Amino acid sequence: MPGVLIVEDEKELREMLKISLARRKFTVLEAENGRDAIVHFKPSITDLVVTDLIMPDEDGLKVIMKLREIKPSIKIIAISGGGKAGPGSYLSLAKALGANAIFSKPFSINDLIARIEELLDVEQHK
Amino acid sequence: MAENKSDSTDKTEVLRYLEKEKDISDQIIDHSRSMITVINRDYNYEKVNATFCNAHKVADESVVGKSLSDVWGYDTFNRFIKSNIDLCFTGKTVRYEAAFNTPKLGKRYFEVIFRPISTGTGEITHLLAETTDIDDLMQSKRAVIEKEEEFRTFETNLPIGFLRLDPGGNILHANRAFLRIMECHDEISITRMNIRSFYVEEGLFDIQLDQLLDCNTKNFGRVYLKNCNKDEIPCRITGYVAVNDEGTTAYIDFAIEDSSRELMLENRLQQAQKLETIGALAGGIAHDFNNILATISGYAEMLKEDLPKNSENFDKVGRIQAAVTRGRSITNQILTFSRQVDQEKVQINVSEVLKETIAFVKSAMPSGLVIRSRIPKRKAFVFADPTQLFRVFLNLMTNAFHAMEEKGGLLTVSLSVVEGKIVKHELNKDIVADEYVLITFKDTGKGMEPSLIKRIFEPFFTTRDVGKGTGLGLSVIHGIITEMEGEILVSSKKDIGSAFIIYLPVSKKYTDPSVRPDKRKKILFLTGNKHESRILSLALEGSGYDLIKINNSENLIKVMTTTEDHPDLVIYMTDSKQIQQRELAAIYSRLKISTPCILITDPDQEIMEEKLLNSGIIKQHLLKPVSLREIRDAIQSSIS
Repeated sequence: MPGVLIVEDEKELREMLKISLARRKFTVLEAENGRDAIVHFKPSITDLVVTDLIMPDEDGLKVIMKLREIKPSIKIIAISGGGKAGPGSYLSLAKALGANAIFSKPFSINDLIARIEELLDVEQHK
Repeated sequence: MAENKSDSTDKTEVLRYLEKEKDISDQIIDHSRSMITVINRDYNYEKVNATFCNAHKVADESVVGKSLSDVWGYDTFNRFIKSNIDLCFTGKTVRYEAAFNTPKLGKRYFEVIFRPISTGTGEITHLLAETTDIDDLMQSKRAVIEKEEEFRTFETNLPIGFLRLDPGGNILHANRAFLRIMECHDEISITRMNIRSFYVEEGLFDIQLDQLLDCNTKNFGRVYLKNCNKDEIPCRITGYVAVNDEGTTAYIDFAIEDSSRELMLENRLQQAQKLETIGALAGGIAHDFNNILATISGYAEMLKEDLPKNSENFDKVGRIQAAVTRGRSITNQILTFSRQVDQEKVQINVSEVLKETIAFVKSAMPSGLVIRSRIPKRKAFVFADPTQLFRVFLNLMTNAFHAMEEKGGLLTVSLSVVEGKIVKHELNKDIVADEYVLITFKDTGKGMEPSLIKRIFEPFFTTRDVGKGTGLGLSVIHGIITEMEGEILVSSKKDIGSAFIIYLPVSKKYTDPSVRPDKRKKILFLTGNKHESRILSLALEGSGYDLIKINNSENLIKVMTTTEDHPDLVIYMTDSKQIQQRELAAIYSRLKISTPCILITDPDQEIMEEKLLNSGIIKQHLLKPVSLREIRDAIQSSIS
C-alpha cells in the first residue's frame, strides 16, 4: 500500500491520523515537526504527505517546498487550525506553494481519507 | 486847528490800531489749518481765509462774492451743503463729517462746522464755516477699528474658549468659542453666571484659584465641565491672573479647550490595541482547540464506522460530532475576530446586500418594531465577502431588536458615500480609498452605559443574559470589518438608544483576475430562502461563475435534460421549500445525473436523506453560515 507521511506536532492528533490511516491499510510514517520530516524523509516509500503548517522547528510551508524539491511527484495535503502570515492565511500560502489539497482543522477524517485515495488513485473500498 | 489836528491824529492812531488788529486777526485766520469762510444768506462767500484759497488754488478776490453752488458745483451744493446751511440759519450750530474733493488736496475727509453769526439785534445774517481736514485722523481711527475687528475674529474663530472672570469667579466676558464648547445659545445670560456653575467637581475651581494666585499662570490639565445641556465635557484649562497697580487681583483669564475628541481618539486607540492583544491571545487558543477538535472528530468518525447504525452508541457519537461542529463554529468565530482566517472577497454593491438583509429581517420581524431605511439608488461598490456582510448587517439588526424588545422602537438604517478626507478626520487614521461607504444602524432601544461601550467589541463580552448567545457576535463583526480595512464605531446613550456606524472603503478597480479561477463554470443553484440565497448568488456571480437559478423541480428537470447548457455543478440549499431533498435524490437517480452536488444545510437540520448522501453525488456538505471562502473551496475541490 502507498506510504503516507504525517507531519504534526500535536501528539494526540498525529496518533489519531496514524490509526485512521492504518485502518485503511496505508503504510504510515510520522514526524513531529518540520525538520524531522525533512531530515528523515524517505522518498522511495512516501507517496503522500499530510502536513500541519504551524509547527516549531521548520513550519509546514518549508516542508512543502523541501519535499517537493526532493520528490517532485509527491502529493501534499496541508492541514491547519488557523493562523495568518502576512496578508494570507497559512492554508492559502500552502495552496500557492503547490499543496494538492488543504483542510481546515477540525475536518472530517473520512473526507481527508477520500481525498488521499483520490490523489493516490487508490480503489475506494468501504 | 490844533484841536482838529489832534483830533485827526487820534483818528489816524485809532485807524492804525484797528488796521494792526485786523492784520493780526487776519493772520490768525489765514494761518489756521482749517478753511474758514463767512457765508451770507444768499449762499455767497463774503470772506475766505488763505487756507481755503490755497486748497482751492484761487485768489481771495476771485472767490469772495461767488456762490457756494458755483464753487462746489450745483449738485454737491444742493445735495449736501444747502440743508446744513439752512439749518444753521435757524440758529443752530451744525457739525458733520464728509469726504469731498478740493483741487489742491484731492478727495479727503473733512469736519465741517457751521456757526450762526448774529448782529446785535439777534438777527442771523451770516454764518461762519470752519472746515477741517480730518483725513489722517479718520485713517488712524479706521486702522484701530480694523485691528480690533482682526482681534475679534481671531478670538472668535479659534476653537479655544476665552473667559475673563472677576476675582469672585463671575464671568465678565466670554468669547464665541466658549459658548460653542458649552453649547450655550444665550450670549447675554452667560455674563451673569459664575464659572463655578460649570464645574462638575464642586470646590475644584477654588483650589485652582489658590494655585493660580501663587504662580500667576497655570495649566490645569483635563478638567470636566458641565455644558448647558448638563453633559460632561472634558476640557483643557489654562489660567492667568492679571494684577492691578495696587498688587491685588484685577481679573482672571481662562483659556478652555474642548478635549473630548482627543479623549475619544485616545480611548479608541487604547481599545484597538486591547482588541489586537486579545485577538492574538484568543487566536492562539482557537488554533490549539482546533487541533483538539480534529482529534475528537477523527475518533468519533472511526467509532461511528465500528458501531451498528441506529444503535444507542451510534447516536451518542453523533452527539459528540454535533458538539465538535459547535466547537468549530466558535473557534472559527474567534479566528475571524482575530483576523486569522482569509476572507474571500469580491467586488460587490453593498447597497444590494444591505437591502436584501433588511428584506430578510423584515420577513421575520417581531411586532412593535419598525425599520426605516435610507439607501440611495446609486451603487456603492466595496471589496467584500457578501455572506460576511450579510452576517454583519443581520447581527447588528438583531442586536438592535434585542435592545428594543421590551418597549418596541424604531431602527433606522442608512447608507451614504462620503469623501475619504472626511473619514480621515473622523477616524484620525490613514485612509485607503478616496471614498467610503458609511452605513449606520440607529435604534431607539435601551442603550448602554459608557463602561459597557468601551468593551462591546471584546470577544465573550455580552450585554445579554448568560446563556443567550456566545458574546462573540460584535467581536466577529469587528474582525470582519477591520479585515476589510473598514472601521466600526459605536455611540450609545442609556435609555435613548445606540448607533453602530460602519465605514467601508469604496473599491474602484476590479481586482486580480487570479481570484476568479473558475470563470465560465456553470453552476445550477437550487435556491432556498429568497434573501439568503440572493446573497450567496451575489457572491458567486461576483466570483465570476455563471449561475442558473431555479427554485422548482420542473425547471430542475428541464435544465438537466437539456444537453447543451449542462451545469458543471449543483449547489443545493436544503431550506428550499419547493424542492425536497427526497425529490432531488429521485430526480438524480431517475435521470442518472452525475453532476457533483454541494449541499448546504442548517447546522441543526436533520441528517439528510441517506440515499442522497450515499449516492456519492454529494461532494461536499457545508453548514450555514457559509462563507464565500468555504463555498469556493468546496466548488474547486468538487469540480477538479
